[in-house]
Amino acid sequence: MKIQSVIDLEKITQEHSGNLYHPDSVKVNIGMASCGIAAGAQAAFETATQAFAESKAVAIGQTGCIGYCEMEPLVEIFSGGTPRVIYKNITPDKILDAINDYQNGIDQKKWILGQMRDPRSLLEDDIDNPLAKVAPFEAIPFLEDIPFYKNQVKIALRNCGYIDPDCIEEYIAKKGYFALIQALNHSEPGKILETVKTSGLRGRGGGGFPTGIKWATCAKHDGDRYIICNADEGDPGAYMDRSILEGDPHSVLEGMLLAGYAIGSSQGYIYVRNEYPLAVKRLVTAIKQAETYGLIGDNIAGTDFSFNVKISTGAGAFVCGESTALMASLEGNVGRPRAKYVHTVEKGFREGPTNLNNVETYANVPAIVLKGAEWFAGMGTDHSKGTKVFSLVGKIKNTGLVEVPMGISLKEIAFNIGGGVPKKKKFKAIQTGGPSGGCIPERFMDLPVDYQKLAEVGSIMGSGGMIAMDQDTCMVDVARYFMDFLKEESCGQCNPCREGIKQVLDILTSICAGNGKEGDIELLEELGSMIQKFSLCGLGTSAPNPVLTTILYFRDEYEAHIRDKKCPSGVCKALFHYEIDAEACTGCRVCARKCPQDAITGEKKKVHDLNQDLCIKCGICYDVCKFNAIAIR
Amino acid sequence: MITFKLNGKTVQGDEGQYILQVAEKYGIDIPTMCHHKALEPAGMCRLCTVELFDGRRSRFVTACNYPIWEGMEITTDSEAVHQGRKLIVELLLARCPDVPMLKKLAKEYGIEEPRFKTEDDDCILCGLCVRMCERMGSSAISLTGRGVEMKVDTPYHLQSDVCMACGACASVCPTGHITLEKINDVITRRQGVGPIPSEYDMGLKGRKPVYVPYAQAVPNTPAIDRDVCVHFKTGGCKVCTEFCGVDAIDHTMQDEIVELEVGSIILAPGFEPFDPSKFDTYNYANHPNVVTSMEMERVLSASGPTEGHLVRPSDHKEPKKIAWFQCVGSRDLNRCDNSYCSSVCCMYAIKEAVIAKEHAGDDLECTIFYMDMRTHGKDFERFYDKAKEIGVRFVRSRVHTINPVAGADDLAVRYVTESGELQDETFDQIVLSVGLQTNPETVTLAEKLGIELTKGNFCKTETFEPVETSQKGIYVCGAFQGPKDIPQSVIDASAAAASAGAALSSARNTRTQEPEVVPETNVFGERPRIGVFVCRCGINIAGVVDVPAVRDYAATLPYVEYFSDNLYSCAQDTQETMTQIIKQKNLNRVVVAACTPKTHEPLFQETLINAGLNKYLFEMCNIRNHDSWVHKNNPDLATEKAKDLVRMAVSKVALMQPLEEAELQVNQTAMVIGGGIAGMSAAATLAQQGYETHIVEKSDALGGQALNLYKTVAGDDIQAKLSGLIADVNQNDNIQVHLNTELKNVEGFVGSFKSTLAVDSSENELEHGVAVVATGGSALKPQEYHYGEDPRILTSLELDRKFMDKDPSLKELNSAVFIQCVGSRDQDRPYCSRVCCTHSIDNALELKKINPEMNVYILYRDIRTYGEREYIYREAREKGIIFVRYSLENKPVVDLSNENITISITDHVLGRPLEIVTDLVTLASAVIPNKDEALANFFKVPLNDDGFFVEKHAKLGPSEFATDGVFLCGLAHYPKPIDESVVQGRAAASRAVTLLARETINTSGTIAETVPMNCSSCAVCISVCPYSAPSFIEEGPFTGKAQINPVLCKGCGLCVASCRSGAIKLKGFDNDQIFAQIFAMNEAM
Repeated sequence: MKIQSVIDLEKITQEHSGNLYHPDSVKVNIGMASCGIAAGAQAAFETATQAFAESKAVAIGQTGCIGYCEMEPLVEIFSGGTPRVIYKNITPDKILDAINDYQNGIDQKKWILGQMRDPRSLLEDDIDNPLAKVAPFEAIPFLEDIPFYKNQVKIALRNCGYIDPDCIEEYIAKKGYFALIQALNHSEPGKILETVKTSGLRGRGGGGFPTGIKWATCAKHDGDRYIICNADEGDPGAYMDRSILEGDPHSVLEGMLLAGYAIGSSQGYIYVRNEYPLAVKRLVTAIKQAETYGLIGDNIAGTDFSFNVKISTGAGAFVCGESTALMASLEGNVGRPRAKYVHTVEKGFREGPTNLNNVETYANVPAIVLKGAEWFAGMGTDHSKGTKVFSLVGKIKNTGLVEVPMGISLKEIAFNIGGGVPKKKKFKAIQTGGPSGGCIPERFMDLPVDYQKLAEVGSIMGSGGMIAMDQDTCMVDVARYFMDFLKEESCGQCNPCREGIKQVLDILTSICAGNGKEGDIELLEELGSMIQKFSLCGLGTSAPNPVLTTILYFRDEYEAHIRDKKCPSGVCKALFHYEIDAEACTGCRVCARKCPQDAITGEKKKVHDLNQDLCIKCGICYDVCKFNAIAIR
Repeated sequence: MITFKLNGKTVQGDEGQYILQVAEKYGIDIPTMCHHKALEPAGMCRLCTVELFDGRRSRFVTACNYPIWEGMEITTDSEAVHQGRKLIVELLLARCPDVPMLKKLAKEYGIEEPRFKTEDDDCILCGLCVRMCERMGSSAISLTGRGVEMKVDTPYHLQSDVCMACGACASVCPTGHITLEKINDVITRRQGVGPIPSEYDMGLKGRKPVYVPYAQAVPNTPAIDRDVCVHFKTGGCKVCTEFCGVDAIDHTMQDEIVELEVGSIILAPGFEPFDPSKFDTYNYANHPNVVTSMEMERVLSASGPTEGHLVRPSDHKEPKKIAWFQCVGSRDLNRCDNSYCSSVCCMYAIKEAVIAKEHAGDDLECTIFYMDMRTHGKDFERFYDKAKEIGVRFVRSRVHTINPVAGADDLAVRYVTESGELQDETFDQIVLSVGLQTNPETVTLAEKLGIELTKGNFCKTETFEPVETSQKGIYVCGAFQGPKDIPQSVIDASAAAASAGAALSSARNTRTQEPEVVPETNVFGERPRIGVFVCRCGINIAGVVDVPAVRDYAATLPYVEYFSDNLYSCAQDTQETMTQIIKQKNLNRVVVAACTPKTHEPLFQETLINAGLNKYLFEMCNIRNHDSWVHKNNPDLATEKAKDLVRMAVSKVALMQPLEEAELQVNQTAMVIGGGIAGMSAAATLAQQGYETHIVEKSDALGGQALNLYKTVAGDDIQAKLSGLIADVNQNDNIQVHLNTELKNVEGFVGSFKSTLAVDSSENELEHGVAVVATGGSALKPQEYHYGEDPRILTSLELDRKFMDKDPSLKELNSAVFIQCVGSRDQDRPYCSRVCCTHSIDNALELKKINPEMNVYILYRDIRTYGEREYIYREAREKGIIFVRYSLENKPVVDLSNENITISITDHVLGRPLEIVTDLVTLASAVIPNKDEALANFFKVPLNDDGFFVEKHAKLGPSEFATDGVFLCGLAHYPKPIDESVVQGRAAASRAVTLLARETINTSGTIAETVPMNCSSCAVCISVCPYSAPSFIEEGPFTGKAQINPVLCKGCGLCVASCRSGAIKLKGFDNDQIFAQIFAMNEAM
């Protein structure tokens, strides 16, 4: 069936909303994004499918990532007219027990993350909540009330974790493709451009360029225009785009279709990392399904608008996330950036005007078109509208994927949503913007999440990686780590980036090894400043950020390394040693037992002794001591 | 037009231009490293980063690829920009600390040592090579790897087939990371692909598709080689057009066919060296250390691929043992078709061996393997003797095979010595002395022209018409006429010009184009502005003297306004450059520090004239012959000496004044002294050209030595031909023959000689403009082998007489012996008489013809049947004539004690004594010169140790004297056969005509002048002057004081030195000028 109008979409919605809201039987949705699969969801899924192959009482389904990756595999179980119950850490051996538990009246409260009364997405505001009036389960918290979810607003992630990503009908049932069909049938392209412009949506890939302006400029230039989706997510610790592609691929396709319509392009490319096999698989399925319904292809919904989407997989070069490098790679050339003195919206892919946005940006678009620019612009700050997805990782309790309105403070994200630093350690800094972002110290934690504000403290929004650091993180080592990453990932074309980063890394390595000397900090600053100004592409110009921000905010740590030859955080092995704090030591022997070198001796209940000659500074004693009796000196 | 601000100044550029292009137009320098005019900018090195203010904020962009736009503001040298660039240079220096271009750049930015950890790379990853290769259409290399792993590489690190070894990458590499040599090393392993071999350097060096064949090529403009030019292959590239500032390159040009209407044609197509590749046993094609003599020439040349440094090809090691193999492609019917002798190879091999020893030092072992050593040219035998003295080893053996030595690059040979022993020897390198042969294209040309060729594919000519082809009006000269050396080719050339011109003499001066005369600048009263040009002479000077140091030293001298150094100052392009510089810099004095003024002063004076300067405002100092050549082992002192010489020249030239030259009429009459073949040929040629000619012959008949000769090697009856020639001379209205006449005296100088001719007792005066010396030679009367004691012992000429007389006794002979080198190639006469080998073999064959049963022996040292004369040597052996070799130490002994003549000799093959009983002994006696010292004095021309006249230049001026207006030909020059005498007679006439045809000549400006005020009228000047230039003034205020006739004065300076009153000065060598030079030298002490 080729969809021609909203009526067709509504027909599908009706047919499939049951799957989402009123299953005839017990519905078990297993979180099957990469994070879930990594935790064992695939095996759990197979076990469950096998067990209930013949049964009509239990239906097994899959969803994308619901965000709380710490608790994966997450399994959602519900039946007609009851709130959804989300079981956590459901490894394959527990899946049948969990289903059993649900069917038998929910005894294992400890297994349950929470229940959910409101599965509607933002796009479904106008639909009655089918579960609003049903009675909740007793003694099970509502997901909406737990801190992790409480302050999140999901636009880009609106369907992630709620629908089966391999099922276009479920996407449609969640108001998917309504924006596209309405636009094709009722709006001129110019109106779409205007909507996106007014919404204040900015590029979520990191640069934050106003999306509407980009689209409009691209539309102005003649030639074969191209729509490219940048799904080459390369920042270590960032997986927002992957989750969207795995959990809700159609939202990205619809965003691209809208962009194609608005800009006047009929050719779309998705450049996705080959390391995201599941995302690629789901995209392929999604494109096929959309083609079946005539949502991708020629004369979409009977209009003049035609649009095709091709997937191209990248070989995993970080620099290919840079737009010109990505286009070069897409053309079959070596993925190296070029100077953007002539913008890609004028001359990009195959010399044609090219609009490139990342996954999250496109995923936002259908919602904006459907709900209006004002709705979107109503969220966030003056300069940054809407929401932003972050992947929260590092020294933080609740690692996972969160989507928060712009303007929310870093503290809110790190402490309320993220749950703060575990193990009573002291929070030190938060790193945003990926490897070329900056480290923001604790004193700026009230800073609202906003493109400008982050830039003011020397960092960037980036694509949404957020790494928390505690007292055990050495900032010099962090800078060294990121520089090491960038040294590998620099394309090597321009001298400031290639040679500069190499030398910066060399200096940092020598500082970490205890060979730092006076003047090193100034030399790093001099190099950093030049690399920022003189590099060819964004990779180079932002590469010194980790070094420059750590010097700016943690200069004392650098000085301690260089002058005192000490690593205060106990990371740089050449610059510290462990000692047993005689006052705190209870003589429990835990450390002595765990020490792989037998370097700790001492009788029970007597202060232990650490033989420095044998110690290899592996840090096991430090980690296992419950009394903080291992001191870093 | 786009208007914007550049460093605060409003500038304009075209739409689409980049900042760098506009900055260049406005003379603002922005440093670049990865930029190349012909390539798309890449913005990789970031050195050209500038600051851009766009109205709101400042940012940094690269000038090479940032397109200009209206209203932008660019600052190219802000502090931030400078600091950034400096840091980039510092980073690169850390990467490549030994790259000269970076070291220089670092110095400019004040960087002493990089503050960073250094590496030892030499590639700065500018990517120029990659972009150039792409532009070439090959894309054989690429920047591979990421980040610090990036490098220039080929796919899979393997040499790819798309590389055409064009070397474009190397040509743009700023650091020397890629060199043609490296490409060469990799590429030569692949068949069919390699750098374009330089024809001039015998393929030992690559050349570019756009090239000048060699440094001094005329015309000195580059050409595009269509066969290898990337544009003509692929339609792309055209990089050259980006660089040509005057749009001179037109890829659409087509070959043009030009039709000329001419009265005569001279063929001078030359030869091609024999290609020894087909001699598989010599391994020339397979082994790099087997080279041809032509390749060796280039290696030994200062302008060659190794700049004269002697190294062998395989490993660039200096060889310690080199062998030359003679007769490769000559005198050989088994392995090639060239049975003739190539005439030049023996001599050039010796020359190469001697030069090789000069270059590499005395411990270099040079061995020449030969069959007969043929050093029959003038002074060649002496050179051969000298080579033996300095240790060049000569082995008479023809080696069959060259075997590569396994595991080394050396070469093993096995040969049989003269004493019959088998020898094995290993050499580092072997030179094949390849012969001369006619190019197949020339053969085709000859067919087209309908010209007959000899069986050796040379142009067929007659003995008495040696430059005429079988087609009327078509003449030949050089190696196409027969294999020959430079002097003989030059002689041929003059003769061919004369013959070709004879028919056209009536049209003389009808198509003359007057050269544009540059008006002479008046420099009187001007402050000296001196230009100093220091010549490197390839490595002749620069190899010893630190030329840049001398040049820079010249800059410090007073009045020096311009200084530079040239690779070859005498090259045509350098001359043009010098002319431009003199004009541009308004120079009024010029010093050239180079070689000898004897050969090169006129050339540089011509340059001054072209620049509008009087040619006497010039001084040359000889830092080659007087310095680099003689102080080879002391380069530091040589450099100091060069500085001293330059300083002296500069101090002298500052005082130089413009001098005037007097113009003289050239008397249009010629005098030829000697009525032999050469003299008559010269006279006939002069007469044909329309000049009145007098032959002065002291005997009572024309004909000279030819009167004694029977027939030529080609079988011509000499007497018949000679009578024809004599008749022609006698009948020619333009020729007056003075028989029985002696030259008593000669006065005057070029253009106006006055000779006194004595017939019997009466004397006549003959006024003439030129003189040709053709006084001939004669046969030695032998003092050995019992000559004169027995009528059966004759000289060759006496045997010829018997043939002419058809002596019946010849028929009766059972046995005849010829003894060669009688009086030649010995201590008294260390020269080869050139003609005797051929003459004896020819006569021996004649005897065999008369009586085939006769036993004929030829006792010889080396058979020297050069050129196609070799055929009769072969014929003689085929006909059973027995050749027995003897050595100078072991001459044959003639015994007359019995009835019979018995000759004892050691047989060179059997190694045993041999006795020959014979009826006739013919002594091939030497050709001896007349040693006419009186004549030499008349014309002030020199004689050599043997008594032959010394020509102006052994190679380039063989038929003229250093004295202007006097020319040379025939046996007076050196022994030679009839054809060569005819040719040289014509050549001498030809050279004379170049002078006669000018009608006027200029005298020198460096002449003496009196200051009558100081003259004491002592008349010493008048008595000492050999030219009768001084005389007393006969009227006016200075009556009785001396004056000098500027036309007669030769500037010898005798009068100047003799004048006790100091009343005479020599212009150009005035006291103040000479003293300035001496005082300047004093500084050195």
